[in-house]
Amino acid sequence: MRVEVVLRYVGVVMLFIAMFMLLSAGISYVSGVDSAFYPLLLSSLLTALLGAFPLIFVGRCEQITNKEGFCIVVGAWLVACVVSMFPYLIWGGEFTLVNAWFESVSGLTTTGSTILNDVEALPRGLQFWRFATTWIGGMGVVMFALVILPSMGRSKMMLSNVELSSMARDNYRYRSQIIVQILLVVYVGLTVLSTLLLKMAGMNWFDALCHAMSACATSGFSTKNASIAYFNSPAIDTILILTMATAGIHFGVIYATLTGKRNNLFRSEVTRWYLGMLLVGGLLIAVSIYAADLYPTFGAALRHGMFQFVSLVSTTGFATADSNTWTPFAVILLIFGSIVCACAGSTAGGIKVNRLVLSGKMMRAKLKLQQHPNAVIRIRLDGVIQDNEVLHAVMIYIVAYLMFILMGTIFGTMLGVDLTTSFTGSVASMGNVGPGFGEVGSMDNFSALPSGFKVANTLLMLLGRLEIFGLIQIFLIKWWR
Amino acid sequence: MTGLRKRVTVGFLSIVCLLFFSGMVSLLELGHLSRDTGEILKANARNIELAKEMLDAAHEQNMALIRLSVFGDRSRDSLCRACMDRLENTLLVAQNEALDKSFLDSLAFATTELRIVTDNYLAYGDLRSGDSLAVSKNRPAGMPDSLGIKWYNDEYEALYGRLTAAIKNYMTSTQSSLAPRAEQMKKNAYRAVTPVLISVAVMIAIVLMLFYFMSLYCITPIERMNKSLGDWLAFRIPFTVKGDLKDEVLELKERIETVINQSKQPKA
Repeated sequence: MRVEVVLRYVGVVMLFIAMFMLLSAGISYVSGVDSAFYPLLLSSLLTALLGAFPLIFVGRCEQITNKEGFCIVVGAWLVACVVSMFPYLIWGGEFTLVNAWFESVSGLTTTGSTILNDVEALPRGLQFWRFATTWIGGMGVVMFALVILPSMGRSKMMLSNVELSSMARDNYRYRSQIIVQILLVVYVGLTVLSTLLLKMAGMNWFDALCHAMSACATSGFSTKNASIAYFNSPAIDTILILTMATAGIHFGVIYATLTGKRNNLFRSEVTRWYLGMLLVGGLLIAVSIYAADLYPTFGAALRHGMFQFVSLVSTTGFATADSNTWTPFAVILLIFGSIVCACAGSTAGGIKVNRLVLSGKMMRAKLKLQQHPNAVIRIRLDGVIQDNEVLHAVMIYIVAYLMFILMGTIFGTMLGVDLTTSFTGSVASMGNVGPGFGEVGSMDNFSALPSGFKVANTLLMLLGRLEIFGLIQIFLIKWWR
Repeated sequence: MTGLRKRVTVGFLSIVCLLFFSGMVSLLELGHLSRDTGEILKANARNIELAKEMLDAAHEQNMALIRLSVFGDRSRDSLCRACMDRLENTLLVAQNEALDKSFLDSLAFATTELRIVTDNYLAYGDLRSGDSLAVSKNRPAGMPDSLGIKWYNDEYEALYGRLTAAIKNYMTSTQSSLAPRAEQMKKNAYRAVTPVLISVAVMIAIVLMLFYFMSLYCITPIERMNKSLGDWLAFRIPFTVKGDLKDEVLELKERIETVINQSKQPKA
């Protein structure tokens, strides 16, 4: 493996991140040179220097091996998390080393959990930087860099193949170059549309842009301590429900629907399951909390129930109510949603509806095979026959996913965190959801929890974002032939 | 970018820039820190100085009033007024310089009260009833004036006590108001150190990269060329150098190959 090539392309991603830091410094400057201007400018310079240095020595490389591509993607994610801490660390305030790392990882992995007790105390430039990290992370650090930066020939194809999981590539019928462009068009388009709608619904431009970036990246960062509950507006809630639900759909399917292609929203089996789950889950929660007299009208219960369920399933994590106080039935449905999450090929994390549908079909096939041992049963998804290798990978992924949640829970309880907080915190971090229950509920944050628990949760976030095996492989790279 | 010298120069310049940059940052932040510390110390000293001045003025006035009211020493009149003026002027200075003026409200009130009572006494002290004045005038020299003592005890002493308490309160309250500034200073100290630490971490990463690239593109190829050339000279093993060669190192390899090829050709 050529380390210099890995360094070069990780450096390119660093330059891209430095560009966003500079943009945030610009926001800070426009806001009257607030206290974040100098930390952002300094961080931008340091990151740019770090990124540009390998480019002095290493030239462009047309051919990248699979192993190199893998190291570039995972390395870029890890280094991005490190350099994204710089503005927080230099600014100070509530950001200790662990807190800055947590906020940085939470942003880039689009988890949206925070350690900040007073988000509103942050200067505007630093607020924007938080949303910038989450927006970059939503599309994927490397993927985003690939779109913005000049052509990299065959290496672009290799890197995009590594960054996109095989399941996410399923719905695309295009070359890698086009896939990357489709992703950008849908992502930016959805963000712009959402910003305009939120502005029309009563938010100011800054809040509208930040919340749109957060919703499209399915992150859940907010500019307000009370999250979306601060605005207390049914119009804003409705716009965000639609944005979050859309951001949880495969971007290729959205593009196909908009351009009138065959593999559109209405033909996609996974999307139907996803949207059906959102509707049924939201309704059941609404009925449950209305029956428990938590809300005076069914309309209010439906608004909050639907918002919270869509927010957790799409892995966004915005909140309009404190779901800690809801009925056990509503809580368990929300936890189920936090584990399953949205569709592959979206900005969401979690097990993904695709895998859930496939595992359901596998169970049905297993039952049929017991009745008819000689039957040849094909499992299809969206009309495409799935290879045994894919089905095998799905089951391994689900088992590994649940195993890591269990490990996170055990570690949390070992540190003295209560079971509810530990379990739901691990579920929320692994699925890049954000809020859990207990001390990490929708109206709480991670600030009071032990540093060890915070660090463990950042590892879960990275594992979830890099689909588990991505991160594990980097530690076994020496033995990779 | 081509040319080994150019690459290495740019690499080193980056490190120099970073060094300079981190040095400037630490200087800037330490300058802030030093200025804040100086301001806090200055404010602290000034506060003590003003409080002392006020206490001195109040004390001198008190002594003068005792001489005046108890022993009828009219020569203390002007001293009494001068002390009162001094107290008020110092209060005015404190009010102008104070960051938080709320601490001075009770002091200003106590000073005004004292001023009214003292002025009244100085203006109308001699207009007491004829009997009491006669008593006062007929008393033997050196004997205290019982009416004056009564006035001092009943009217003045309590106000004087209130004034000195207000001055002491001003002194301690202003000291406690410095705590948030000291907290801010602590934050500034953190901010002075963090950018430097981050710059140093980035510099270490860059130095490691520079070492790696120098080793990869300069040291290792030259070592390999040297070994291969030695093998050719000693054992006539063909000259081959593997690896990603660039710039002058690549030229050097090609020239060595040319020389070897020329030496292989039979001499005419």
